[in-house]
Amino acid sequence: MNDIHIQGVHEAYFVPTVNFVAATGKCEISGESYLEETTKFYAPLLTWIKEYTETVKGPLNFDFKLSYFNTSSSKCLVDILDMLKKYQQSGGEVSVNWYYEDSDEELEEVEDFIMETGLQINKIPME
Amino acid sequence: MEKQGGKYDFSLYEYHNLLHQNILVSYKGPIDERIMSVIGENIEIVTNDGNDKARSKIFKIFMELAQNVWLYSAESCKTVSGKQLGMGTLVIGEFGDSYTFVTGNMVKNSDIEPVIEKCEIINSLDRDSLREYRREQRRLANQGKKNSGNIGLIQVALTAESPLDIELTPVNDMESFFSIAVKIKKTLVKS
Repeated sequence: MNDIHIQGVHEAYFVPTVNFVAATGKCEISGESYLEETTKFYAPLLTWIKEYTETVKGPLNFDFKLSYFNTSSSKCLVDILDMLKKYQQSGGEVSVNWYYEDSDEELEEVEDFIMETGLQINKIPME
Repeated sequence: MEKQGGKYDFSLYEYHNLLHQNILVSYKGPIDERIMSVIGENIEIVTNDGNDKARSKIFKIFMELAQNVWLYSAESCKTVSGKQLGMGTLVIGEFGDSYTFVTGNMVKNSDIEPVIEKCEIINSLDRDSLREYRREQRRLANQGKKNSGNIGLIQVALTAESPLDIELTPVNDMESFFSIAVKIKKTLVKS
């Protein structure tokens, strides 16, 4: 199974940095997310997770380090979290760290993701 | 702006003066990702007074509201490549201890009622209910049951921590001018 490596770009649109490693199950989405076609960008990431959870079936460690994401991206992030929750419920080993910048609003947003998906997420202040 | 006796009946100086007081950035015209990128950067520059929290809030609000003008304005134009761009007006002002960000665009009278209802719901909710509303609307959007334009408005109210100040001005039988203003309080910078 292939890895996913996408280098983040901050131009008119903001492409997040993505590193999904199949050998270790370590996954990272960082930077900023504001895309021309949000669903199209996130679709291969969801496909990767699906394939990993069906074939590799190893642990998944997710690090989210997003300093900005628009509402359209937030929907796709919830899709990812939903998928992780489903994997966990079926016996998969999942850990999720969410790094947030020091603001109540961002902390609230992570808490809402937790409520929305039922997934345990570690909230970690960004340095 | 009509030409009268060889002179345009439009004083750029008056226009400048009208905008000059308290207005940091104003734009009228078509909106696309390039315009958003430039204005987004300008907003970050003019609000760079050490109030990082307010600055990032304005940026987030700008991104959602400008996107709505781009996608939903009833007045639009087409680029050479055939891309449809909504037209509208964006203004950011500074008033004492707060910033105000306003967007306005033409809307079809037949389309605007649900948007106004949505804004009224948002304004009637306290913060916890508003968060619940965002979760619920995001869930519906993810299940493909609703479009996501609504989440942007909820997000704006949550980010601004103030209500959506909406105004609808009828222009003719078919269309009105719709504006949304939000106030962003400057926060005291922790030392």
